[in-house]
Amino acid sequence: MLNTRDLEKRWLIYKIKSYIPHAIITISLIVIISLLTLFITKKKEIKTTTEVKMESLPTLVKTLPKVNNEPIVLVKEEKKIIIKQPIPEPIILDEATLKLKPSLGFMKKIQNSTLPYYQTEPSYDNMTTDMKKEDDTTKEQISQEPVNTPVTIIKEEQIQKSKITIERRDTRDDIKNIIKRFKKNNNPALSLFIAKKYYELGEYHKSYNYALITNQINRDIEASWIVFSKSLVKLGEKEMAINTLKDYIKNSHSNNAKLLLEEINSGKFK
Amino acid sequence: MNTSLYDNSKNVFLDTVHAKDYIQLDRVSTIYQSLKDSINKPLKMILLYGRPGTGKSMFLTKLYNDLSLSKVVYLYQTPILDESEFYKTLAQDIFSTRYNGELNFTQFMKIIKGSSLDSIPIILLDEAQLYSDALMEKIRLLSDTRTMKFVITLHKTEKEDLIAKEHFQTRIWETIELENASKTELKIYIQKKLMKANCFDSANMFTAKNVHLIFKLTNGNYRDTNKLLYTLFDLYTTYESNEQITSINTNHVSNKLIEMAAIHTGIINA
Repeated sequence: MLNTRDLEKRWLIYKIKSYIPHAIITISLIVIISLLTLFITKKKEIKTTTEVKMESLPTLVKTLPKVNNEPIVLVKEEKKIIIKQPIPEPIILDEATLKLKPSLGFMKKIQNSTLPYYQTEPSYDNMTTDMKKEDDTTKEQISQEPVNTPVTIIKEEQIQKSKITIERRDTRDDIKNIIKRFKKNNNPALSLFIAKKYYELGEYHKSYNYALITNQINRDIEASWIVFSKSLVKLGEKEMAINTLKDYIKNSHSNNAKLLLEEINSGKFK
Repeated sequence: MNTSLYDNSKNVFLDTVHAKDYIQLDRVSTIYQSLKDSINKPLKMILLYGRPGTGKSMFLTKLYNDLSLSKVVYLYQTPILDESEFYKTLAQDIFSTRYNGELNFTQFMKIIKGSSLDSIPIILLDEAQLYSDALMEKIRLLSDTRTMKFVITLHKTEKEDLIAKEHFQTRIWETIELENASKTELKIYIQKKLMKANCFDSANMFTAKNVHLIFKLTNGNYRDTNKLLYTLFDLYTTYESNEQITSINTNHVSNKLIEMAAIHTGIINA
């Protein structure tokens, strides 16, 4: 008669012993894979940060007049002759798919009073009027020349002999590209940039939408709340803007938000 | 399930050498047939070699059983190590000559020359590696007289290879090597062995995984397989007698029990 209990015990020890090398190999593999994944993720993060920095570059040329992707030869001079091209046809962007749900605690408080995303497309007549208004200030210094000729700034007395060539891209094309990028990586820096650009272009409903999206992704971006509130004021939702800013100030104690709130309350910002 | 099934199955794998226990496998049958054919050839010696447990003794026993009906065959399973005793045994068995006192090679040769036999006797010597070099040389000389034919079995080791080279290189007309069973052969071997003893239920208990494990443990060695399976069914019998059989799977052989049997027999060092 065999001693089955003793055999079972010996078998259990044998099994545990036989699994030890497998366990070591498995654990080692998991550790190696985890380390590799971490390393790759970190590399990607570094790349994304570089991309965000590159994406913010178009803001540097925002004050320059628009040209249809044509190179501008810029030469420093005392007397400036600026040839302005007419504003190109507006590109209508499909924004219907950009619907996200807010996740912020304090946002829920103002949820009922916050306007939904603006679905109606803007009338570009208003936008062109706004753009024209902006342009009026510069019209005193500029003269119009035939369409499709590159913008050339010539300096009469050359201070420097070297020439700088700046290649510009159309703002709307920039926005379009950035929207594409944003859809791919959901980077709040990009949505904020889009919100800012739309605000500058006078498309307040779009700037509102993108600021809202930015806030939903990252609630700690002060600039996004500023653009959000400013857009609300521009859209005639002053009370909503004030309430939003108050709630944000409670949470962040932002000085810029306080200043904007004062300006809105005093009527300086309309 | 019949209570004596495991006990019957256990006895099937008792390590005994009986011609009735011989299991006919395709490859083994071919080798056996070629050995039988060699017996009929006018050769002096046949060398049957292989590692321990490959079935050499069983082969020799089966050959003895089959040939004894038609030929004069003598089987010596246990080696007769004393030279005089060896000659005396042969003289008595083959020539019916009882010899009192010491019998040397010269005297034995005189007996051979003085007697006339109808047919050449076939002498089957098992475990020939145990014979001394001097006696092996005498066996070689005896075979040269063509008055008797030798079929000898050797363990295949380096030492035995040397013996084979030195004594039989020029004389052996047939060398047959026996090998361990393949995985498929092992499955057939186990099932045929059990079915031969009417243990159909236990024969059906062996799955491909079980056979794979048994093959892994025994490397297809028949002796080790018999030892392992004897202990395996002994374990089943123990569980049954302890009324613990319900705690183990009786539809299929448990790999755990195979490993336990391997631990008990020392095949697994745990």
